[in-house]
Amino acid sequence: MNQTTRKVMGILGLIILLLSLIFFTGKFRSRYTFAEDLIMTGLSPVQGFFSQLGLKTFTFFQGIVDYERVLEENKTLKTQLAARENLYYQLLELQKENYRLREMLAFKERTEYSLLPAEVIARDPSHWFETITINKGYADGVEKDMAVVTSSGLVGNVMFVSRNSSQVLMLTDSRRAVSALVQRSREPGFIGIVEGYPEKKGHLRIINLPPEANIQPGDTVISSGLGGVFPKGLVIGHVLEVGKDQYGLLQQAIIIPAVNFNRLEEVFIVVEIPPEKEGQEVVPSGE
Amino acid sequence: MKFHLKKKVKRWFLLGNKIHFTLYLIIIFITIIILVIQGSLLTFFIVSGIIPDLLLIMVVCLAFLWSEKRAIMVGIIAGFIQDVLFGPAIGFFCLAKMIAALLAGLASHEIYRDQIIGPMLTVFFVTFVHEIIIFYLTGFFWGNTFTFYVALEKLFLPKAIYHFVLTMLFYPLFYRAEQKKFFYPSFK
Repeated sequence: MNQTTRKVMGILGLIILLLSLIFFTGKFRSRYTFAEDLIMTGLSPVQGFFSQLGLKTFTFFQGIVDYERVLEENKTLKTQLAARENLYYQLLELQKENYRLREMLAFKERTEYSLLPAEVIARDPSHWFETITINKGYADGVEKDMAVVTSSGLVGNVMFVSRNSSQVLMLTDSRRAVSALVQRSREPGFIGIVEGYPEKKGHLRIINLPPEANIQPGDTVISSGLGGVFPKGLVIGHVLEVGKDQYGLLQQAIIIPAVNFNRLEEVFIVVEIPPEKEGQEVVPSGE
Repeated sequence: MKFHLKKKVKRWFLLGNKIHFTLYLIIIFITIIILVIQGSLLTFFIVSGIIPDLLLIMVVCLAFLWSEKRAIMVGIIAGFIQDVLFGPAIGFFCLAKMIAALLAGLASHEIYRDQIIGPMLTVFFVTFVHEIIIFYLTGFFWGNTFTFYVALEKLFLPKAIYHFVLTMLFYPLFYRAEQKKFFYPSFK
């Protein structure tokens, strides 16, 4: 073998080695390996610092540019908040009523959730994968597949967990599908990402809707709870336009997500609290 | 014969007769800083959905200054750290960065190192190769969401132009650092 052949062989060997590494580490892992864990743990405060720095700089300039708009927005938000507060008490009332009625019917109590706040400390710098890194890990009780939300809706789920940080796979990542529901008409479908529009990468779409499905622009799409990863009833987004799929058989719709995936700062991890045993066997009390 | 082979392997890893451990430490350090900045600070300043891959620019600039053997090592180290921090699997960016570095290293034999247009053009073309490798790897392992031509027009080309311009800022830094023997402090 002369030197050139040897070089080529060496490079080919390296490529095959790396390809098999991708194959073996790309699937079937929920936790990082020890070495990765160590690096992630060490780096998460540094990432947090730079993320805060970026955020502060960004909001500073944004604040100067948008001062007038922010004032205006503040005014409208205050009015909205007052209206919402009213709604909140109504909801509380309804929740209590719902609880009572459920108790009467001896319905199984729905699983309760608590929210664990986390900060976004980094996001995937390549445009190929839609993941973010948050500053909570298994030390805080985070586990793989836990849902991640913001106050406006569903963000995604936890993919990898390290000690003090975890990676979250967002809804806009191409590697996932979420089972969804149109809130108004209860039409079920699947959430996928909009294909073929890399510049519209913030948009989602709902596919596999039957041709007679009752869906129209403006409808709210929520998670259906099927599949077990996401709890039921989390807002995914609002329908922008409805159309036929590529074969003209099924309907599909483009959705504007409720969450702005490009500007995530704080998120909540949904931690499931198993329902209490005693509450389940309530016999309706006779009048 | 055995001794001979051992010596060869050793020389390959040390990449020459001089031991350049500090070189690798410095590269690891720079890689981590670039990735942290890119993943946290830069994401707030995205230009039309494109985040520049500063790490690729670093790998290509260094590969351009050094031979392809050392370039491959730089590519592997940088890619590995990127995989650990953000990658979907180990070996993913590693493979793409290694091939990018190899090409840049080979190109540096043919192109004059002391003029900036050479590395700028290299970065421009290597960006395409890097992105195409990742495009097909993603397609193979997880499935792609857009066709090749759309990606070429909407992602690869803007990114390549972005990198082309950014190299103008970064290459002189690496060139100066190489000349001042920044990467080998023990040989000053």
